[in-house]
Amino acid sequence: MLELRNIDKTFHRGTVNEAPLFRNFSLHVSAGDFVSVVGSNGSGKTTLLNLISGTVPTDSGEIWLCGEDITRQAEYRRAVRIGRVYQDPAVGTVPGMTIYENLSVAENKNRRYTLGLMLNRRKYEEFRELVRTLGLGLEEKMNIPVGLLSGGQRQALSLLMSTMTPIDLLLLDEHTAALDPKTAEVIMELTDRIVREKGITAIMVTHNLRYAVEYGNRLLMFHQGGIVFSADGEKKKRTRVEDILTLFNEISVECGN
Amino acid sequence: MQLFYGTTLDGLQMGLCFAILALGLYISYTILDFPDLSVDGTFPLGGVICTILLYRAGLPPLVAIALSFFVGMAAGAVTGFLHVRFRISNLLSGIIVMTALLSVNLALTTLLTPNGYTTTIFSYRGGNIEGLFSGSVTGLFGPGGKEYVILLVLLVFVVAVKLLIDLFLRTKLGYLLRTAGENERVVTSLGRDAGRYKILGLSLANGLVAVSGALYANLYNSYDNDSGSGKVVLALASVIIGMSVFSRLRHIRNTTAVIFGALIYSLCLNYLVLVDRNGIYLKLLNAILFALILIFHDKLSALRRGGTRGGTPERVSGAEAPEAGEIRGEEEDGHA
Repeated sequence: MLELRNIDKTFHRGTVNEAPLFRNFSLHVSAGDFVSVVGSNGSGKTTLLNLISGTVPTDSGEIWLCGEDITRQAEYRRAVRIGRVYQDPAVGTVPGMTIYENLSVAENKNRRYTLGLMLNRRKYEEFRELVRTLGLGLEEKMNIPVGLLSGGQRQALSLLMSTMTPIDLLLLDEHTAALDPKTAEVIMELTDRIVREKGITAIMVTHNLRYAVEYGNRLLMFHQGGIVFSADGEKKKRTRVEDILTLFNEISVECGN
Repeated sequence: MQLFYGTTLDGLQMGLCFAILALGLYISYTILDFPDLSVDGTFPLGGVICTILLYRAGLPPLVAIALSFFVGMAAGAVTGFLHVRFRISNLLSGIIVMTALLSVNLALTTLLTPNGYTTTIFSYRGGNIEGLFSGSVTGLFGPGGKEYVILLVLLVFVVAVKLLIDLFLRTKLGYLLRTAGENERVVTSLGRDAGRYKILGLSLANGLVAVSGALYANLYNSYDNDSGSGKVVLALASVIIGMSVFSRLRHIRNTTAVIFGALIYSLCLNYLVLVDRNGIYLKLLNAILFALILIFHDKLSALRRGGTRGGTPERVSGAEAPEAGEIRGEEEDGHA
């Protein structure tokens, strides 16, 4: 499904601050996988997502998605098939537009943005029902600007918007990190449900080890641009938070943290 | 009294003319969040193009104005292109285009004089031009009614432009344009190139600015290369006055508010001429007026932030920092 082949990535190349991150890095993700990625700061988790989504170019190596080489493809072209939810809930929605408007804009993703009218009253009830499935009471706030919603509500909406049209891959970039524990739990369950229902392949970067262990069928731990721990299938099911926490601490001590 | 009456009438005519300019800036400044300085160049560009087409080509006024629109669009596209493709900051790309247009406009002006480049006076007054406001149109209300006909024609023009913009902003393309202004990353996530929509928005904005310049040339039956100076300030002031005074009223769309803003500001400017007859302190008074408006606007929006909007139960005050979109939300439109 997704394949990263021999990726090299160095930041600030050619300056005194040169920081090599990925050296000959490869990763294969199968269709339907839900991969949790953990690791310390600067271990390359977010850069991995940035490379896949095209926000950051690779120095060398190839990225393949569904049998197509997307290494040189522009970010917005990749976005047709790759959805992404960011840590900051403000990134995924348009603050000045209402929930109804946001969903209308997102729903039109695979069609052309022509001079036809955007809002279609017939869609209103459909969107209302869709929002109702979030279970956050947002169906009563369809005509309220999204900028007035709470972080959790906006994040739920971001999730909905990025998955309401068919996508091949969903990138979750610490998408619960800016939320309070209870809201984070709600968003996490929602994520799991949407990913399962739609059968989307997903890669989730998180600092929450419990989420990494509880959700998904594959777990990767990153350290200095490499994978230091990998578990899938039965091994993933047997992995407990304590196991990766111990490993995490060992690595941190190594680096002198 | 006669003087005051004449000043008011002239102010209203100018105000309607500048309302289209302000509507252009509404698109670039408010919707796209792009303070576009190229306006100082595209305004006279529209004027000179229209004058040439009327005077040299003898085209009907409406056709000449429409063609000015497209030339203005091209200039706006250059600004957008510099900003989007070469990552030049929004202010600088505007300045570059504005500076370039100074020469372009000058060169075009030479087409208006038989001597070509030997001309030394870079303005053109053409009493014999069959413009939008000369000839049969103005004869309708008898000799004294000319000014009212001009006012009426301008009003029709402004209302038509306003309605077209309102309609455009409700289309799918219009929504994507608004999205590009508010949150570029959403446009990217929709699989679209956000830069392309910025360029489109700036084109439209500058097209309108050129139309405003063309109308201005028609209004005074003359073209002046200097007419562009201070138009950014004028347009921004109009937008800000309109939005801060009228936008909070229900059932008033932003576009309507901007038109009223332009009328108010133009009237104020005209009355300043009554105060300062020699015109020495005109620009100073102009600047002070603009500063006062900004200060007033700031106070007003601060009042609102602490007032009704902040207290709505929907808003959950949490750890989230107020981001640009929310602050700018004060100026955002509420039409659904």
